[in-house]
Amino acid sequence: MAETVSVNVRNTNSTMWAWLAGLVGWAVPGIGHLMQGRVHRGLLLGGAVWVMFISGILLGGQLYGILSSGAGVLSYVFGFLNLGTGLLYVLCQTLGIATENLSMLATSEYGNIFLMVAGLLNYLLALDAFDIGAGRKL
Amino acid sequence: MTHFLVLLLFAALVGIVFGVVGRDTARSRTLYGVKIFLEFVGVGVGLAWLLYWIPI
Repeated sequence: MAETVSVNVRNTNSTMWAWLAGLVGWAVPGIGHLMQGRVHRGLLLGGAVWVMFISGILLGGQLYGILSSGAGVLSYVFGFLNLGTGLLYVLCQTLGIATENLSMLATSEYGNIFLMVAGLLNYLLALDAFDIGAGRKL
Repeated sequence: MTHFLVLLLFAALVGIVFGVVGRDTARSRTLYGVKIFLEFVGVGVGLAWLLYWIPI
C-alpha cells in the first residue's frame, strides 16, 4: 500500500516536472533542457532557435499578431507559428520589434520564414523537454 | 550569393535541431543532421534551377 502511494507521488511529480520543463522550454528556447541538466543539448538546440530568430529579424522578417488578419486567414496560422518562440515573441510584440512589413527588402520573405520556422522548432524543443522530463527519452 | 548563404544557414540550423532531436547516438545524430542539411540545400538548388527555366 505504502509502495503504491510512493509510486503514485513519484509519477505525479514526474508529470508536473515534465509539464514545467515543456512550458519553460517553450517560453525561453533551450531553458527546458538546461533546467534538467542537459546543458549541451540545451545550448545546441536553444542556440539554433535563437540564431534562427535573430537572423529572421535581421533579414527583415515580420512577426504576425495572433489576433491580426493583415494577410487574411493565413495571418492566424503565421501568428501561431511565430508564437512558438514564446517570450521572445511576446517581448518583440510588446516593444514593437519586427512588427512592420518590410517587403521592400529583398530578404524579408526569408526573414518571415526564419521567424516562423524558429517558432516551429521551439515547439519541437518544448515537446523534447517534456519527453525527457516524463522519462520517455534518455 | 546572399540568397545561397541564407539557404545554407537555414539548412544548417534545421539540420542541427533535427539531428539532435531525431537520433540517439552522437554518430547517428551527426549523420542525420548532415543528411538533412544536404537534402535542404540539394532540393533548394534543384528547385531554383528548375524555376529558372519556367517563364512566369
